[in-house]
Amino acid sequence: MAASLTAPMALADWTRQWLNGLPVADGPLAAVQQRGREALAELPVPSSRQEDWRFTDLGLLAGLDATLACSPSDAGLPPAAPGVLRLVLDGRSDPLAGVVLPAGLAPLSDSELAQALGHTLAATACEHHWPVELNHAAAQQVLALRVASRSCLTLELVSMQAAGLLPLRVLLVLEEKAELELCQFAGAGGAGLTSLVLEAHLGRGARLTHGVVALGRNDAALLAHLAIEQEPESSATLATVAAGWGLARFEPRIRQVDGSASTTLRGLQVVDHRQVADTHSHISFSGPEGQLDQLHKAVAAGQGRSVFNGAVRVPREAQRTNAAQLSRTLLLSDRARIDTKPELEIVADDVKCAHGATVSCLQTDELFYLQSRGIAADQASALLKRAFCEEVLRDLPGAARQWCRFEHLLASV
Amino acid sequence: MIRPDAPVLLEIKDLHARVEDKAILKGVNLTVRAGEIHAVMGRNGSGKSTLSKVLAGHPAYTVTAGVVTYRGQDLLALDPELRARIGVFLGFQYPVEIPGVSNLEFLRVATNARRAEQGAEELDTFAFEDLVRERLKVVQMDPAFLDRSVNEGFSGGEKKRNEILQMALLEPLVAILDETDSGLDIDALRIVAGGVNQLANADNATVLITHYQRLLDAITPDYVHVMAAGRILRTGGKELALDLEERGYDWVDQELAAQAPVPLEVA
Amino acid sequence: MSTAQAVGDLVSQPYKYGFVTDIETEKIAKGLSEDVVRLISSKKQEPPFLLEFRLRAYRQWLQMQEPDWATLGYPPIDYQDIIYYAAPKQQDKKTSLDEVDPKLLETFDKLGIPLSEQKRLSNVAVDAVFDSVSIATTYKEKLAEHGVIFCSISEAVKEYPPLIERYLGTVVPITDNYFAALNSAVFSDGSFVFIPKGVDCPMELSTYFRINSGDTGQFERTLIVAEEGASVSYLEGCTAPMFDTNQLHAAVVELVALDDASIKYSTVQNWYAGDENGVGGIYNFVTKRGQCRGDRSKISWTQVETGSAITWKYPSCVLQGAESVGEFYSVALTNHRQQADTGTKMIHVGPRTRSTIVSKGISAGRSANSYRGLVQMGPKAVGAKNYSQCDSMLIGDQAAANTYPYIRSQQPQAAVEHEASTCRISEDQLFYLQSRGIGFEEAVSMMVSGFCRDVFNQLPMEFAAEADKLLALKLEGSVG
Repeated sequence: MAASLTAPMALADWTRQWLNGLPVADGPLAAVQQRGREALAELPVPSSRQEDWRFTDLGLLAGLDATLACSPSDAGLPPAAPGVLRLVLDGRSDPLAGVVLPAGLAPLSDSELAQALGHTLAATACEHHWPVELNHAAAQQVLALRVASRSCLTLELVSMQAAGLLPLRVLLVLEEKAELELCQFAGAGGAGLTSLVLEAHLGRGARLTHGVVALGRNDAALLAHLAIEQEPESSATLATVAAGWGLARFEPRIRQVDGSASTTLRGLQVVDHRQVADTHSHISFSGPEGQLDQLHKAVAAGQGRSVFNGAVRVPREAQRTNAAQLSRTLLLSDRARIDTKPELEIVADDVKCAHGATVSCLQTDELFYLQSRGIAADQASALLKRAFCEEVLRDLPGAARQWCRFEHLLASV
Repeated sequence: MIRPDAPVLLEIKDLHARVEDKAILKGVNLTVRAGEIHAVMGRNGSGKSTLSKVLAGHPAYTVTAGVVTYRGQDLLALDPELRARIGVFLGFQYPVEIPGVSNLEFLRVATNARRAEQGAEELDTFAFEDLVRERLKVVQMDPAFLDRSVNEGFSGGEKKRNEILQMALLEPLVAILDETDSGLDIDALRIVAGGVNQLANADNATVLITHYQRLLDAITPDYVHVMAAGRILRTGGKELALDLEERGYDWVDQELAAQAPVPLEVA
Repeated sequence: MSTAQAVGDLVSQPYKYGFVTDIETEKIAKGLSEDVVRLISSKKQEPPFLLEFRLRAYRQWLQMQEPDWATLGYPPIDYQDIIYYAAPKQQDKKTSLDEVDPKLLETFDKLGIPLSEQKRLSNVAVDAVFDSVSIATTYKEKLAEHGVIFCSISEAVKEYPPLIERYLGTVVPITDNYFAALNSAVFSDGSFVFIPKGVDCPMELSTYFRINSGDTGQFERTLIVAEEGASVSYLEGCTAPMFDTNQLHAAVVELVALDDASIKYSTVQNWYAGDENGVGGIYNFVTKRGQCRGDRSKISWTQVETGSAITWKYPSCVLQGAESVGEFYSVALTNHRQQADTGTKMIHVGPRTRSTIVSKGISAGRSANSYRGLVQMGPKAVGAKNYSQCDSMLIGDQAAANTYPYIRSQQPQAAVEHEASTCRISEDQLFYLQSRGIGFEEAVSMMVSGFCRDVFNQLPMEFAAEADKLLALKLEGSVG
């Protein structure tokens, strides 16, 4: 706890230093950068006194190089499947330079970009969050794509952060009945921070399946805001897997603008050593007959700390919403800590909202059962841990599933 | 049993009803006298379940035309609970689960509400337990079901038996049993049908709403009505049901097609 | 009329205990200062240690900030506009009931708590608190035969100072929170219960709180100690007149259970809740905490909350002793513009400690009903277990049901399980009951009590019926 008192000051210093070191605002996002820098200079840095940051210490950032990173690497992933477009995001160059886009996929024009950029962040009430302003201040490029109506595409995004800050900004517009499978890999090759802000707008009947595999290291941090706006009859599946980061925070922010959409959220975070992983999800239903199916899982070992905060807002106009949230945590060490807080706010009488949470270690009777069939204790516990994670991993789309080797995730746990 | 001089219990005249904006009943006529057993058959969507719900007063259904009299009284003017108290009983196709409300308590309150209407004295918990234990035999039900919440976690057969138990306690004059045989295995069907047969007498009447002949093998109807497109298309004796079993419902379509189109309802 | 509307109307019955007793009252001037704290202490002829306790608390309170994190909205409270001591004029506490002002006896009669020997409840001992003081305690002698002490806390301060000094403020320290500090500085009266080693208290104990004055704050303080192997069941009831101003009620309840002791604390709370526009009503900011100090000890909270304009209350258990058990069973009904933010904290410290939480919230009208709970598994809570269940019933589409169940764990060999659901009274369920001859009101009432059954089952026999009646009262009346 003592650390969290000094951290905000160190972090404020770091932020100031970092802001001063940024190049002059430039490029297509110059205006956004300028606004972000002004906002960041004013915003108090996150501290444990703010409810949203109560358990998540950003102290790690203060030790990072206050520079922008450039890291053109495909992270050593196996090549993309034939016909699948893979874009490498290095934070500096235009990811579409020299790329031939498949039919149905087109970059947004400047005027479309001006109109759409930031719209979903505002709609999901996170445009002034500290990590978002940090991204605003730094991001020089935005990958802005439109998926044409009724087309069906697969896309891969890969980033590999080096020392310093890697700002990634993505904007996706899915037209009516468009379908996109998006596999994203975020790796860490140095003591740095990946700042990801993704906005997706799903038109009527559109379908997005987004899998994020984020594998980090002890001296690296990831701050990700994933904001999705859904028109009726659209379907969004977002599966995030994070392991190995000194600090990782995911904020999925979903808004069903007129209800009648379906949202599936899957999250898995693994912490060990002194790592911190935090998921703050926020779903709001602004119309009737919306659906949510959320499963969040965490494995905490070593002196790791896992935080989950799941807000579900069902206002009066969201009658006949059907929302289910389940949070399950596996606590594997007596020096690890978990904090879980579902938040259900309901003002509609004809709704089904259920949530549940469990925290436990591996079940001794399950272990015993496996052992009684001749399986060694460590093997049995590995099997059970794998089964625990598998429930989330199996919902990762195509290639992302391959990137996410189980052995990788639980290497040390 | 058919006795032409038996008093009329239920008289339905030109009944029209809709749910939301959809007209479902389009002129049903039916007369039920004491001592009779009627079977109303028809395909899914023919309107037979709607007929049962309208008679019991389900709030989702709106009567747009027609008259229903029960022992000379305007049935449609009464709230659902009053219909039950004066002796009209609906056996639900899907009995509703009510978590937290004890089955025994529910049965006792319902029975006493019916008794109060008949001018009988209220039964205290002990007297009621005696009565309910006796009536449990009608449907061969385990007393353990009394301690559970109303229908909660009951199997399909248990729910239907619970319905007949309620009928045994409330002693209605007109019992409308909506698809009582659906979801029952042979043994459960035999028990439920046995219960209905035990409860039928010369003073009351039963209206069975069903798809299949198999219930009618166990309970012999005096009249069989075939419903289609919201009306009773044909009425006959028990042999009509056997005929249906053999020939299916296809002839109903032909007969409907042959008729002049049903005039549109004016709501 | 729609079902939802009709159900909503049903829960909007007038408050029955809104009368004011016309009695001469001694009040001190409005406002709070160190002098007021000293004045309260001197009026109660307290020993120096207690004055010291109060002054420490007052000084702490001055340094503290009113909490604002609960999901509540209310105008700022002017702490200088409250009277901190009011008592019906009678010289000392009477030794015999015959000497108590008949008007007071009549008041409690009207509230259904007869105190006189002929009419008093058999098998329930009652401490009746009127505004700031306890006016009578029944069955004291009979309890004394068993070594049980049941009296007002003021009396206990005089008669058993070592016990008070030993236990007061040890479960809820004066610095615990803003309202607890305020209470520690100005608490007026309340009950003290002491069950000696090995004694199973022979009857139910009950305290009945009545706020009568319109501008008085009520700050009662309750302390219950159960020594090794002792057990007791205690019930608290409360009502207040209808005023169009808000009255502050900031109580502190401390429970201590030693080895193998068990305390069951039940509350049927029916303060005045304000009118349908949210004018008037009690602000109920209460700190209730029990400490299972001993091994295998048990503390069980049961509450039925129907009143108050604002409720802020988290009866908690600190489970220190090995294998100690904490329970929380709660029904909270809110209507009109009532706001309730209630729940519990189960702090598992010792090994193999167990806790159960069952919370049932019913929200109607434009009210807001929040469950806020914390289950914490500390590093030494090996083999500890918690199970929580939070269900909300919504009546009408303008009421809010919020659920915030925190879970913190630092112990892999501890298991926490939480489940929550929302429901409403469905049209199909209502129709099913109605089609069996059960009237609309009774059907609604059956379903609401069915929803609450798990909690009502926990109330002592004598009060289960009372709680059911209370809910039924809120639910009865004509359906328009």
